[in-house]
Amino acid sequence: MEHQMNGKVGIGLRRNISKEILESTLLKPDFLEFAPENWMGMGGYWNRIRKEAVEKYPVTCHGLSLSLGSPEELDWDFIRELKVFLDENQSSIFSEHLSYTKSRNAHLYDLLPIPFRRDAVDHVVDRIKRVQETLERPLAIENVSYYTPVAAEMTEIEFISEIVEKADCQLLLDVNNVYVNAFNHKYDAREFIGKMPLDRVAYIHMAGHEQVAPDLIIDTHGQPIIDPVYELFEWTIQRMDPVPVLLERDYNFNEIEQLQSELDHLKSIIKKHWKVTNESPERRNSSAEPSGVHETN
Amino acid sequence: MKLSEDTERIQDLLGDYCRTGVDQDIPGITPGRLHHYRRLVYNVVRDTMDTAFPITLAALGEEQWDVMVQDFFSKERPQTPQIWKLPFEFYRYHVNQETGAKIQKPYLDDLLYFEWIEIEIHTMPDRPFPGYSRTGNVFLDTLAFNPEYEIVRLEYPVHMHSAEKTLELKGDYFVLVFRSPETGNVQFLNLSGLNTYILTRLAEERVPLNELKGDIARVAGIESGKYLDDSLSTFIGDLIDKRLILGYIT
Repeated sequence: MEHQMNGKVGIGLRRNISKEILESTLLKPDFLEFAPENWMGMGGYWNRIRKEAVEKYPVTCHGLSLSLGSPEELDWDFIRELKVFLDENQSSIFSEHLSYTKSRNAHLYDLLPIPFRRDAVDHVVDRIKRVQETLERPLAIENVSYYTPVAAEMTEIEFISEIVEKADCQLLLDVNNVYVNAFNHKYDAREFIGKMPLDRVAYIHMAGHEQVAPDLIIDTHGQPIIDPVYELFEWTIQRMDPVPVLLERDYNFNEIEQLQSELDHLKSIIKKHWKVTNESPERRNSSAEPSGVHETN
Repeated sequence: MKLSEDTERIQDLLGDYCRTGVDQDIPGITPGRLHHYRRLVYNVVRDTMDTAFPITLAALGEEQWDVMVQDFFSKERPQTPQIWKLPFEFYRYHVNQETGAKIQKPYLDDLLYFEWIEIEIHTMPDRPFPGYSRTGNVFLDTLAFNPEYEIVRLEYPVHMHSAEKTLELKGDYFVLVFRSPETGNVQFLNLSGLNTYILTRLAEERVPLNELKGDIARVAGIESGKYLDDSLSTFIGDLIDKRLILGYIT
């Protein structure tokens, strides 16, 4: 199934647009991405929506809380529950952020930048390996946007590349994050992507952002993708093999047509450079219905 | 593979700053950028609490509410990786801290719990439903309960009145909170003490209503007869209409 997803364009399943995705014809993604934390252990109405989504669309999953860069031990109970969720939803890809979201045993619910340091590389590599082993699937780590480096002893590209290489994991290339970071930290986005291990990319994220100061962009996922990010995407995909591409939008869902036009725009760029099958990715049938997801939490 | 003490210390300093907003001496940062992390982290937590507890926010006012959220996030260590469960940790923290007494809002625990229980019932894992028939006899057949419900006991009737008004109505209140099997919507039903007793016995003992009529009459202080039968029939009929009682066990 994974090859069928390559070159396809999906969208994150958010509650605000679940109705449009499942019921209307205005929004037609090829696949859906779940944030497992937002659905795990949930019953009732939203569980029905999740099941319906899984019946209608292929699924990828993008984690929020693994906190790969934290000093404290990984939350193995959570990871075991996560595995059940990924299996039940037949997620073809699982990705997480190269960041930390937990400090002094407290969840912070946002992505903090790991210091670009050699000991942090070794620490994260070890954790990715153990997570991959437990989940019994590869992990695609995402290059995150950051607004300040913290006590860096190496460059961002060295940090990411070493981790991907040593952990033997996949990469989720967030093209918007590269654009945001290049702007915020004054480097060349194309040169940066040119140095990325593009043969490891299993998944691409695209999103909008918000400029909050003359020299600072925040990665909000609340705005449409801007042209320079589309251009960077087009430049990038000519240098790599086809993978699934996701439009990330977390809020400002006022105009569904706008979201569909962004999906269409991405597809038109992909069509120019990647040979993609016209077949829809495999839909699931009801016999693949997940069961027992509620018992884990 | 363990992080060096220095890297761990630096990461914790950034975490501390994001949780508390208190400046930390963090090396190697771009000046003027760090506050965005505090703003983004705190906004996520604050938005989550605002969404979970709109009635409490309105009752306490913006200023008091923000103090409570800041206090929670800076002192408590949130344990759930799933942020939609964080409101429960917030509720539990303020109960443990006796915040309601400290700010002279004694209804606070009840109000927070009342708002949390709606989220909990709406999202809780599906429970197995019994096999049931829609036809049967209210008194002779065992009633089939919708298993997705809780009975909540409150001291302040925050489910019926504005928070401040409940100050003069302190007592024992019972609220049935249940999830509609069809829509997943949460419904609330004020229960008398007697009806709470009846429901609890029926649900726990799974026996026909007739077997409990003697006890119910004793608790109610009335004779078992037509009046009691009519009252029970009306009560159970209402619960059948509302889908707390699905029908009769098959």
